[in-house]
Amino acid sequence: MKITQHTTDTTLTLALNGELDASSSVLLDTELSKPEILRTQKVLIDCQQLNYISSAGLGVFISHLQTFQDANVKLVFFNMQEKVRNVFEILGLDSLMTIVPSEAEATAV
Amino acid sequence: MSVLRKPLPLLSVAVLLSWLALLAAALLYAHPGLGGWQLPQTGGIVLVLQALFVALVFLRERIAPERLRGVDFIGLLRQLLLGSALLAVAGVGAHKLMQLLVGPETISGSVLNTAFYTLNLGLFVLLLARTNYAWRALVLFRATDRLRRQWVAFEVMLGITLLLRLLPFSPPVALSSALLGVLAAFGAYLSGRQKWVAYLSRRQKIEAVLLQLAVIGVMGVFVAYFTSTQPILRLVGPATQNSFLLLNAFFAAMYALTGLLVTLFNLPTAGVFEQKREEILSMQRLTQLIQRGQTTAEVYQMFFDSAIQTTRADAAWLHIEANADDDRYDLYHRLPTDQATAIRELLTDFNLGNLEYFNNDLSGGSFRQLHLPFGSLMVMPLSSSKRQYGNIYLLQEPTQAFDRENLSILQTFASQTVLSIENLQLIQASLRTQRVQDELKIASAVQDSLIPKNLPIDNWFEISSYAVAATEVGGDFYDFLHLPGRRLAVLIGDVSGKGVTAAFHVAQMKGIFHALMQENPLARTEREKFPVPSQFMTQANDALGRCLEKSAFITASLYIIDYEHGGFVFARAGHCHTLYYHSIKEEVSYFQTAGLGLGIIRHGGYEKHIKNQFYDYNPGDVMVIYTDGIVEARNAAQDEYGEERLQRMLEESYYLDADQIKAHILADLHEFTRAQPMHDDQTLLVIKFRSAQPEAGL
Repeated sequence: MKITQHTTDTTLTLALNGELDASSSVLLDTELSKPEILRTQKVLIDCQQLNYISSAGLGVFISHLQTFQDANVKLVFFNMQEKVRNVFEILGLDSLMTIVPSEAEATAV
Repeated sequence: MSVLRKPLPLLSVAVLLSWLALLAAALLYAHPGLGGWQLPQTGGIVLVLQALFVALVFLRERIAPERLRGVDFIGLLRQLLLGSALLAVAGVGAHKLMQLLVGPETISGSVLNTAFYTLNLGLFVLLLARTNYAWRALVLFRATDRLRRQWVAFEVMLGITLLLRLLPFSPPVALSSALLGVLAAFGAYLSGRQKWVAYLSRRQKIEAVLLQLAVIGVMGVFVAYFTSTQPILRLVGPATQNSFLLLNAFFAAMYALTGLLVTLFNLPTAGVFEQKREEILSMQRLTQLIQRGQTTAEVYQMFFDSAIQTTRADAAWLHIEANADDDRYDLYHRLPTDQATAIRELLTDFNLGNLEYFNNDLSGGSFRQLHLPFGSLMVMPLSSSKRQYGNIYLLQEPTQAFDRENLSILQTFASQTVLSIENLQLIQASLRTQRVQDELKIASAVQDSLIPKNLPIDNWFEISSYAVAATEVGGDFYDFLHLPGRRLAVLIGDVSGKGVTAAFHVAQMKGIFHALMQENPLARTEREKFPVPSQFMTQANDALGRCLEKSAFITASLYIIDYEHGGFVFARAGHCHTLYYHSIKEEVSYFQTAGLGLGIIRHGGYEKHIKNQFYDYNPGDVMVIYTDGIVEARNAAQDEYGEERLQRMLEESYYLDADQIKAHILADLHEFTRAQPMHDDQTLLVIKFRSAQPEAGL
């Protein structure tokens, strides 16, 4: 699992590369737990290279969901592979989180 | 016959009889006509009887059991001295005392004198035999075969000299003297075999010297006695005839003397040998401690004591530093803590804190400022590849007290200690692991008891189930509950994560299920008596929200099947889609319903994310419900089993019994995942609805 960061004034983009399982989700949790993240307006997750997400990986997003909402930070996923999107949908997360097809749409949200 | 098998008592009797015969012959020889008996005045008979007696005594000693037990040389010497020697001295003493009391003039030539003389001669022979066979045990101690053969040759040659006296003539003096000289030289050569002395400790050596002096003293008493008595009675014949006794006496004295000298010369080095021996013993004790599985503190104490003992340190300090598992541990021996700390700090300043080190002159250099009452210091670290444990500090008052040898033996001690400490830790760790495993087994058994053993049986449907956990305790669950009015509640679900935490939530979920599916006594209508699935999920979400950790969630599906009216209602809370065979449409598909997992939103509003779905089933319909461990099972190429393949399996097997459908799916799943490790729990339920049977009862 590799996480690449890209920051603009209002946006933090995290590109996830590989499989998000129990061990690698710790890395992601560290990134999402940084206090400065709550000062941005938007956190974009680039899922193009994300091949697999386990329930531990989902748990990381779920655990930060409430904090982001309270701080008025939007969490947006884009470029999601069909297989991974299916996992989000089965769990019903698509009704809580914004999942859009492309980066352009993600920036526009 | 039995007597022949015990030659020793037999020989003892023979010795006694031959001595009595010798006594009789001696008396008749010295006092012709005593008691009316007469003996030819040649003395030949006396000599023959004397030779017989001597031969029997030596033979008896030769076959007597080995007197040396292990390396108890001092015991052997004591036995020798206390046994025959004291008895012999008593005999000689009695004779002398009698001469004193009666007066030498009266006694000389008396019958009593001859009797005492013969008695003392017998005792002397006994002493010689005892002594020389005791020496034999010492000579042959750890001896080579060659030396053993030499000893036997020596014995045989001595035996031949015994026969010399039986010759009717006296051999030429030159020949017998040469023979005696050769044998004496042989005896002197054998006297050099004193290997046993090396095995004595310092104290034992001193005792050995005293004992050997005593043995020589006893023989001296006899020699003095015989030289003073000989002129009276010519029992001891010319040298050639008595060469056997002479040679034996010579060897006995020679060996004792050589032994005495060797022991004496060994005394100054005894300390060094003993120290080496002590080192070996300490090492053995230290090694034995490991096998006994003592505590860490005991191993340290043992090491500390052994190190002080072997290096003869006047003061010492063992310092074990604290780490994550253990507290700091210190042992002091006659060293004030402030001095100990000062030494440590000084060494640390010079970056010698954890190195092998010895300094034999503390009065000079940087140590001078500490004003220590010691001259020498030695430091040895205790460390392994895993951990730096600490150091032992040993001090002695004199300067130049330690050497490289001390350092190397101490190093061996230290590594042995570290080895035993780490062994202990391994044992403790494995015990802990064992306990955890035992507890997991219990947890597994408890969880197993939560899985419904008896599936609901009715004529309206068939149920078949399969559940396997990837680890001892799993996160999957399913349960059934009969509700009034021919209804059946079926719950399936999966707790995120694995292991004991997940297992706790499984138990909790089942508790919630049984608690919520109780009849509500306040309900006004029949429909309100039991919660519908979406209500159940909302209530379960509230209950779980208070105790699930932040990143955990649970997926579940609840089905309430009303088989009186041929329909069911279900809600899917983030759980896998239900696979269904519609017998009317002859089609297999997944129910596509929305629904959020439990424990994801915890501050209200969950009810907006969960829906009920109603469906009227037809006889022959098949429902397959499962957990993600089935569809996410992987093959060697890391491909997932997938919903499509599961769907195809039902298409192939929908017409079979529920059990056969389950078997068909599992056979394909196992074929797919062949030889791959299971990484998630797997649960599969197959429910097949059947046509209503009029005679059906509950």
